[in-house]
Amino acid sequence: MKTTITKENNAVIFSLNGRLDSNSAPLFEQELHEFMTAPSAHLVFDCNKLDYISSAGLRVILNIAKAYKSGQFLFSTCAMQEHVQEVFEISGFDSFITIYPSVDASLAVLKNQQ
Amino acid sequence: MKTSFQIHNDLAELDTLLEQLQILQQKWSLPKKCLSEINLILDELITNAIQHGGDKKNYPIEVTLAKTGRELTIEVVDAGPPFDPTINALPDTSLPLEQRQCGGLGIYLAKKFCDCWHYSRSNNENVLILQKTLPKDCG
Repeated sequence: MKTTITKENNAVIFSLNGRLDSNSAPLFEQELHEFMTAPSAHLVFDCNKLDYISSAGLRVILNIAKAYKSGQFLFSTCAMQEHVQEVFEISGFDSFITIYPSVDASLAVLKNQQ
Repeated sequence: MKTSFQIHNDLAELDTLLEQLQILQQKWSLPKKCLSEINLILDELITNAIQHGGDKKNYPIEVTLAKTGRELTIEVVDAGPPFDPTINALPDTSLPLEQRQCGGLGIYLAKKFCDCWHYSRSNNENVLILQKTLPKDCG
């Protein structure tokens, strides 16, 4: 899986491209290290080009959600392909992670934050 | 229609799994969503077998897929330590974030995307047989 990182005002956007499985999850987790340990900006995962996710990928996302739970910054996901969103929902992750329809929708919510 | 292939107990082999399934997708004209579900079932079972395979290196995992009409049968056989996923504790997906753990989520997903499964241990091998009814356009 390839990730592209862009910054937009007060948010960092990770665009995920490819497959997030037990093969690619460890490197992805490393890339997210600073966000896991000390979140210092809002974080958005753009899943438009995420073709596949397994439980190994969900584990990384769960850890990020936990890291963002208590702080002042927000974490959200957006633009998921239908079959990826289904895996997300079956796992119950949609109850604590917001899935917006687009990057713009994610950012619009953040604009009202600090 | 039946096909078999071997996966070695190395996570890089998940790419081999995908290649094999893509060949099958063409042969059986499977829709993308369907392929993705079969991929997820096998990914979770194989990852589990590899990660819990203990010290026994280089044993292959045998995967067989057979399709009769819309009925798909998946068989996964490995020579790892005994492990019965059908009695594995499943995660409570309704728990709030703070209490959620990731253990068991892979097995849970594999179970969710098939209709039934049966485990047996024979000849020192784990034998798991799953069944899945494919969508109407897969007949």
